[in-house]
Amino acid sequence: MTNYNIETDNLLLDFESFSETGIELSDEQIDRAVELSDRIIDPERQWQTYLNSLALFGFTAWLEERDNTLVINSDSCSVMQPSYASYIDGVFNLTVGEYKICLLTNGVAIDEFISIDRAVVDLPEYIPHFYILVNVVEEQAEVIIDSFIRHDEMMQRKQTANISADADWTYEIPLAWFNPQPDDILLYLRCLESSTIALPDSATTITDDIQRAIESSIPQLQSGESLHQILTWSQAAPILSNSSLLNWLYELQTAQPSLGDSLAALRDRLFNTISEVTQTAINVKSWLSNELDELAQSLSWTLFPSLDLAPSGLRDLEVVNRESPPEEFTAIVTQLRDSGEDIPPDARGAFRDFDLGTYALRMFVVTWEVEETEGIPEWSLLVVLGAQPDNYLPQGLKLELKEGETILDEKIVPEDTNDSYIYTQVIGELQEQFIVSVALVNGEIITFPNFVFD
Amino acid sequence: MKTASKYWNLVRLDSSGKIKITEISPAKQFFHRQVSNSSDSENIPDLTIQKDLIAIKNSGNENNISADRCLRCFISHQIRQACIQLDIQFGREHGFSRNDLFIYTLNDTLDSFRDSVAGKQASQGKYKSLAVEILETFDPAKANLSTWTVRYVKQNRELQRFLLEQGVYLISSWAILNDTNIKQVNRILSEFHNLTSGEIEQASILLSGYHNVYRRDRLKSRQSKGRKCTTPSTEQLERIADLINRQGLVLSPEQTLTQLEKLAGLLREYRIHVRGGKMKQESFDNTEINTEGMQASVIQDEEETVDQGDFLKSYQQQFQQSLDSSIETVITTRLSKFKGKKAAKAPQFITALELFHCQGESMSAIAPKVELQAQYQVTRLLKLKELRIDIRHQMLQLMKDWTMAQTKLEDLASLKQRESEIELALGEQIDLVLNEAEKEASVADSTQSILAKRICEYLDRL
Repeated sequence: MTNYNIETDNLLLDFESFSETGIELSDEQIDRAVELSDRIIDPERQWQTYLNSLALFGFTAWLEERDNTLVINSDSCSVMQPSYASYIDGVFNLTVGEYKICLLTNGVAIDEFISIDRAVVDLPEYIPHFYILVNVVEEQAEVIIDSFIRHDEMMQRKQTANISADADWTYEIPLAWFNPQPDDILLYLRCLESSTIALPDSATTITDDIQRAIESSIPQLQSGESLHQILTWSQAAPILSNSSLLNWLYELQTAQPSLGDSLAALRDRLFNTISEVTQTAINVKSWLSNELDELAQSLSWTLFPSLDLAPSGLRDLEVVNRESPPEEFTAIVTQLRDSGEDIPPDARGAFRDFDLGTYALRMFVVTWEVEETEGIPEWSLLVVLGAQPDNYLPQGLKLELKEGETILDEKIVPEDTNDSYIYTQVIGELQEQFIVSVALVNGEIITFPNFVFD
Repeated sequence: MKTASKYWNLVRLDSSGKIKITEISPAKQFFHRQVSNSSDSENIPDLTIQKDLIAIKNSGNENNISADRCLRCFISHQIRQACIQLDIQFGREHGFSRNDLFIYTLNDTLDSFRDSVAGKQASQGKYKSLAVEILETFDPAKANLSTWTVRYVKQNRELQRFLLEQGVYLISSWAILNDTNIKQVNRILSEFHNLTSGEIEQASILLSGYHNVYRRDRLKSRQSKGRKCTTPSTEQLERIADLINRQGLVLSPEQTLTQLEKLAGLLREYRIHVRGGKMKQESFDNTEINTEGMQASVIQDEEETVDQGDFLKSYQQQFQQSLDSSIETVITTRLSKFKGKKAAKAPQFITALELFHCQGESMSAIAPKVELQAQYQVTRLLKLKELRIDIRHQMLQLMKDWTMAQTKLEDLASLKQRESEIELALGEQIDLVLNEAEKEASVADSTQSILAKRICEYLDRL
């Protein structure tokens, strides 16, 4: 008899009720959440993104209803960007006034533990002032702001309880740690100085050696396997902390795998992205002492022998054997000299092959020191774009040379031409860096790492 | 078994809709003769009695009808108990009584008992009472009758529909499965249910197959999103079965459904366990708060002439001004949210606010006056607790100079304390007042606080 009462009471705990504080979601919000989740490939993450989006809409409605003055910014919020939502759980990159917020979403499967993605706890880029737990009752189109925990509090408790991340890169945090009075968040957002809650300010360091880790994992990454099954946390942290790399990863997994050329193209894009991120550059000065730096090597640049040693070139480029890049290079230099370019004997050149769209292209770069004005050393960068054997330069193809955001020169392959090459040249002071990119008419573009003379 | 009488007393409703307990004499005689003829009868466990009764009921001998009656009497008590629990948990806040629930559930008159015994064929297509349904599906090897009854009460469609109208609902099994991920299932089944790794492995495959089919379909179909999840269709079950078969878990579509329901049941049990713990925690937290509140008011009594007096005197003017201006700001903000489709809510809100604060009416009395069906809808329209918190926070901001002089706003604890002081000064023991307000007798309290008076004055000026 005693038993049955407890049982009956407990079984009825199953019922829920619309609470005073619940927020109703509109059909439009639900549709939008479906749209946002639609771009996520992994089914588990897709559903979570759906719930996360509903949580964001509910939270926004809650704040707007409570306060006219708090400014919410969710423009670059994680759920809006598939490259974030595909790899990191949680609603982050969300701010209210000066505060960074991360929403953690709970469906109706109530649990004693809240699973939090390691990235929003350990990566300074995403660490918020507050983690806010949001209950989403999808079936009833209802959202309830449940509870919250401050970041500093979480770190303290995590340390005391000696909790470390699971193998799937999540922390399982006890629900009991969360403050069950969500109105206190409002008190803090309204009245507290954000500096009271200290956040780490250092950024995740990205070194260019991650490219090797990623490069060797490209086939696995392409297969859609979970990141934590492929990379170690320290390998993944730089990727997860950086939107360009996440974008690269997302494109890698979503792009239609076209045959053959795709892998090389993806590799190229990865290296370019990494060098952009790490702001590394190809140092062409080392070419003059017969050396390729590490980046140039990994990007498959090949250095030509000194021009003094090169055989004298053929005058007619049309008959050059393009199967032999050194011969082709010598012919190009000869022709350029003939047409008035002053390329000194100590200039050094290198080339690399790359794919852009369906075209197999080849780029030659020649560099040398210049001292036109005494006491002001300068350097020259000459870029020649051609095609690989049995290929040609498509009409409209554009070779662009920039310094920062400023376009210094652009060359376009004209209509009705028989020219096999286009080229451009720039002379700059020693600290100047130049960016070279090649674009197809359809907008497809490849940007090479900066060239420097250091 | 302490109260054997529940095996021969039938709980039902009389013609006026009131509970009536009727002794079924043949059942009583049968029970004494067959079951409790031993002197130790009070100590026989219910489970044993129920097993025996079921055996007799299914035996086809002349006593089967009596055994059926005894079981249905027992069920009627359990149904009543379940409804009482629902009333206790939600009734007051959601404006319904246990009698409203009895109508849907206590509908067994024993008249149709022959149908129940005669088997499904005879009773097919005919009206079946809830108790008959419960008994027909009950298997003493799998559950005890009390639990089985509660499960059926919960799943009763009529009851669910009524409760939903009152703002109380049951999460569907399919929603629970949707929102549970594989990692959680592994942990719950191993740590809470102590299942073997083989069983857990199977459950993971099953759940993953379900997710792949059901979640995706739900996201794709325009009509279903944000609405109650329905049982997977035969076609969906076939697809799930196909997926899990490929993972080495061979189940027919029917078996797949059974296994999914079983898994959802296990998750539901865990969920109930967590909610139970959470509720205890919350009531514990509330006790703490209340105790704190009481202590605060004791101290305040002693020092009132000094502290409270000084506090109010030196800041009275500023306090009043910021209170009035905060009320205006917060109410205006609220009103500004009622636009577009919700525009009709603005006058409702003002009227309800006025009735509550100036006339001291209860939420349930207000409902019909603002054309709402249920009390919970008024609670939701007003969101009084939030309104009051927002007013306090607004005051804190307005009185920043004063607050800053007293305490740096960089101190979490003193900020919280400052808020509590304003709460105290407003004469609002919010939760107390609100709780009291729901009891008809003391609604007048809601008009007594400073806050209520100023809100009222503001509304008069509108």
